[in-house]
Amino acid sequence: MQALIEWIVATDLSRFVLYNGWVWPISEALHFMGLVLLVGTVSTFDLRVLGVGKGIAPSAIHRLVPFGLAGFGISICTGVLFIAGTPDQYFYNSAFHLKVVFLLAMGINVAFFYSAPFRVVKSLGPGDDAPRITKLSAALSLLIMVGVMCCGRMLTFFRPPMIS
Amino acid sequence: MSFFVWLEQTGVSVWVREAPTLWAFPFVLFLHTLGLGVVAGLSVAMNVWILKFAERHPVAPLKPFFPIIWVGFTVNLISGLLLLAAYPTKALTDPVFYLKIGLIMIALFLLQWMRRKIFVAADPSRPLQPDRRLRFTAALSIGLWAGAVLTGRLLAYTYNFLMASDLVAGY
Repeated sequence: MQALIEWIVATDLSRFVLYNGWVWPISEALHFMGLVLLVGTVSTFDLRVLGVGKGIAPSAIHRLVPFGLAGFGISICTGVLFIAGTPDQYFYNSAFHLKVVFLLAMGINVAFFYSAPFRVVKSLGPGDDAPRITKLSAALSLLIMVGVMCCGRMLTFFRPPMIS
Repeated sequence: MSFFVWLEQTGVSVWVREAPTLWAFPFVLFLHTLGLGVVAGLSVAMNVWILKFAERHPVAPLKPFFPIIWVGFTVNLISGLLLLAAYPTKALTDPVFYLKIGLIMIALFLLQWMRRKIFVAADPSRPLQPDRRLRFTAALSIGLWAGAVLTGRLLAYTYNFLMASDLVAGY
């Protein structure tokens, strides 16, 4: 772990993040904008599967999801910048570990949802109720996003002492 | 000044700022982020819908999302007031804070305008042709939320005085 950290902090990317004062605050703002896009569009779809705004077909609402994916991409890129800047602050941080667990759970839930249930959801029209198993996956998706946000916000309070 | 001193010494302020538990400052901060996701997230989703998909799909069925946005806003109003109570000097002596509040107020005004004019009034079974004004309003709303997120995040960096005692010290 220590060798990995030493390798990361020696990279140009790490220096870029640490030696330019504007990079961190701007990346934080972008990280939150990515969060807004992801949570906003994906939860709109999840809520439709759960029965909110039923007058529109889930397949139509699902067109919002690519915007969320773009937001997720923004958050991943800026997240990589944070880790590149101060890897020890994340690798030795239990809130970060739990955040990664939630992100993995998100991946598993997404993989499950698109494996089979999505085909059923796609065929639904306006006013149709989604099958129970897809509702479960949608509810799980909402809970996991709350978990990711919670752990992300808790990072600051679980930071190890600064190693300089 | 004496108002800041008084507020910083109230029980609520001291508890949120100093209580050695994750349920104080960290939890309030988490609630504020959660509300941000709901308010800005769903608002942006509604605006993207108008810009990209309203031509082919109706908008009226999305009405039930608006009360959810307002629940999120209530969470953020309360958590925001608690954060403000914890560090009143920090926020109220920073011009960026007023900019943030201004952006949010305009964004919420546009949100309500849109709900009344479009989501409530529209034919629930038919798509609509968004005119230039509506498209502009939707794009502006997205910009306002981005601005609110940016200014909100920058508050951690742009403040001049953390506590009222820093005002006395004069730097």
